[in-house]
Amino acid sequence: MFIAAFDLPTGPASAGISWPDVALSFFAIVLEGAPFLLLGAIISGLVDVFLPAGLIKDWLPRSKAKGVFAALGAGLIFPLCECGAMPIVQRLIRKGVPPAVATTYMLAAPALNPLALFSTYLAFRNQDPWLMVVLRFGFSLAVLIFLGFWLIRLRPDQMLRAETLLGSTTKSAELSANPGLVLTPRPGMSFGGLQQFTGAVIRDFTGVLLFLVIGAAAAALFSTGFNRNLLAPIGQNLFLGPLAGILLAQLLCLCSTTDAFIIAAFTPFSIPAKIAFLVAGPLIDLKLYWLYRSAFQPRFVHGLWLRALAATFILTLLYSFKP
Amino acid sequence: MIDRLTRQVSFFAPAAVMSAWGTVMLHTITSGHINRLLNPMFRSYVLIAAILLFLLSVLHLMLYQPNATSVETRPFTRRLRPIGRWLVLLLPVVAASILSPSALSSTTLANRTALSSTYGVTPMPTMSDTSNRNVQTELAADPNQPVPMEVTDLITVSHSSDQIKAFDGRQVRTVGFFVAQPGQPPKLVRWLMWCCAADAQPVSVELGGNLSGDWKDTQWLEVIGTAEFPSTLGHVIPRINVTSIKPTQEPDEPYLSP
Repeated sequence: MFIAAFDLPTGPASAGISWPDVALSFFAIVLEGAPFLLLGAIISGLVDVFLPAGLIKDWLPRSKAKGVFAALGAGLIFPLCECGAMPIVQRLIRKGVPPAVATTYMLAAPALNPLALFSTYLAFRNQDPWLMVVLRFGFSLAVLIFLGFWLIRLRPDQMLRAETLLGSTTKSAELSANPGLVLTPRPGMSFGGLQQFTGAVIRDFTGVLLFLVIGAAAAALFSTGFNRNLLAPIGQNLFLGPLAGILLAQLLCLCSTTDAFIIAAFTPFSIPAKIAFLVAGPLIDLKLYWLYRSAFQPRFVHGLWLRALAATFILTLLYSFKP
Repeated sequence: MIDRLTRQVSFFAPAAVMSAWGTVMLHTITSGHINRLLNPMFRSYVLIAAILLFLLSVLHLMLYQPNATSVETRPFTRRLRPIGRWLVLLLPVVAASILSPSALSSTTLANRTALSSTYGVTPMPTMSDTSNRNVQTELAADPNQPVPMEVTDLITVSHSSDQIKAFDGRQVRTVGFFVAQPGQPPKLVRWLMWCCAADAQPVSVELGGNLSGDWKDTQWLEVIGTAEFPSTLGHVIPRINVTSIKPTQEPDEPYLSP
């Protein structure tokens, strides 16, 4: 706990930015994310062709509140990473799943992912693994329930971009899920759904890829150019520690299965600061902000950002002050 | 005329962009550059994605056709926006594949070193099943020969007092790159990569003893020396007391993967 006192950074706050390294990091992030995005787009294409629109709606509970809990449960059972979830969630909304339920699933899948919890256990193996796993899971769940009940009070048009709402049901290119992509089917070449499937995959992949590229650029810039020691002096502070954890998560934009390994080695942070990092990161960060913008209205994403971070901060602060 | 051109561009753009991504992915794999970008676990996914992207490009050209009639009523500049979107998909990834260097620089090393002096002191999160297995093999090696050990293995050893006892004073041979920061002992460093280069963290052991030679920062070195595990403030920092040091080639896998 007091180790940080001996190790306050003495050098300059930032060593500067190496632009070739930003290019390397950017390239690594898009190469890592693109295959998962493509997988998400393929699943989305299969859903488009094979899943009748009403079917999922019939499975889901009638009440929206129960729907939120169903989405949280689905997040536990069907793990998905952040990049893969994006096209699938948009498709589910177009298939009639209430946006609040689909969005709760999108937020829950990376955060409650069993793989993320397992990697948290491994990363903190030498530090108090069960405490970290339980706190991460518990706080994530609490924040997700809070967000879910905010989501069910919103109208779909307050959340979603017009094109996500209408999606492939309209013929107009301007209103398609991927503006700029005009797909004109060749007559007589439908091959039992192959044409529809190909169109859906291309539309979803290239549509979300644009936002992955923008998000990856932001993530590469900060994960390379931001000096982590800058946050070290406040990492043990009762108030500022959790804030530092949240801020670091926003800048580093790590996947939820990796983040625990990075933060476990970050000695200058207190336990609440580390938990804040682990809870806030999978919900939203600079990269996810742009990915979410592919489906949601900017105003809604800003509201989500504010609420997710504020809820994380309050919970971890309460933990800081526990007797 | 312009109208026809934009219609042609918007028809071919998806196939062109997807093929470009596929080509960049394949080139990254065949050139070996991918070793500097991704954890081995993810490399086969990139190959599969590249093949699927080529397949999708062909399917797109087969199953779809250029928009025959113009439905454009938008002003000229708004019609250019879709083309701008395709360029954002095309240019950055191609540029990054050409411009990205073969290794992360010492600038980024400094930014990503969280309290360099305590690195290796903290319970370093190697998913140490691999590292633990390495250490068991290394313990069983011929004690009269220098044992080849990775930086991470030495750190794994430093977590267990039994293993420290077994390794203390053994001759080890370790490869890494040289870093000397002002006010700190020189170090032999490796990048530890969890998923991709964007999350790579430096891990290090300290170097002591005979370091004669003019070593530049981030120069790859092979070091032979005695493993030592001195304890400061109750924390063990692995150190190599160097007897032989010489420049070496960058390993095929420049990053260590847990």
